[in-house]
Amino acid sequence: MQQQAQPQLLAAHESVDLHEIINFKTLCLAKSKLMQGLVFDQELKALMQKDVVQTKQDLTELQAIYENAPFQAPVPESRPTPILQ
Amino acid sequence: MNQDYLDPSNARHMPELADMTFAMDLMMRAKEGVRNMAIALTETASTELRSVLRKQLRQGIAMHQEVTELMMRKKWFHPHELQEQYKLDQLAAKNTLMISEMDLFPGDTSRKGMFDREPDAKLGRSEA
Repeated sequence: MQQQAQPQLLAAHESVDLHEIINFKTLCLAKSKLMQGLVFDQELKALMQKDVVQTKQDLTELQAIYENAPFQAPVPESRPTPILQ
Repeated sequence: MNQDYLDPSNARHMPELADMTFAMDLMMRAKEGVRNMAIALTETASTELRSVLRKQLRQGIAMHQEVTELMMRKKWFHPHELQEQYKLDQLAAKNTLMISEMDLFPGDTSRKGMFDREPDAKLGRSEA
């Protein structure tokens, strides 16, 4: 169901690698963000903040491209019910 | 060292030991990121994805360099003096093994009472 002016769908192999990269970046963002609250050294904290800013940008870029994955689906507002029931 | 994590003797140099661990984590993540990006890049056919991954790979390499330089300056990492590095490696492993033996969180850690609702409150533990 490719619409006009929509970029071409990604191939399966690149989509799966992109899935891994996105999950890796998400975890890195969470860690750099949360660990700043535990760090004592202010230079290290500043570097972690720099990492947060960069990773946020990276993740946003990757998310946009991930929308062209062949298994792309509408994203619900919150977590899907099966994991809560 | 003793088994009591409340003993003030265990707090000596603790901030620096903790920072060394966090810096090592940041460095390992930067390194893993560079490798992941390089691997993903070799699986890419899309031009747009290639250029984003290439940009993020370069940025990852730069971040790895920054963390490494900070760690070397702080003497948390000795890539050129392997005997110094060896001591840090063994001490970090020893300290962390010791911490792993401690009963750090003896109570119930579910913290469910802190939330306004419990999604699985009506279910038994095995169903939840």
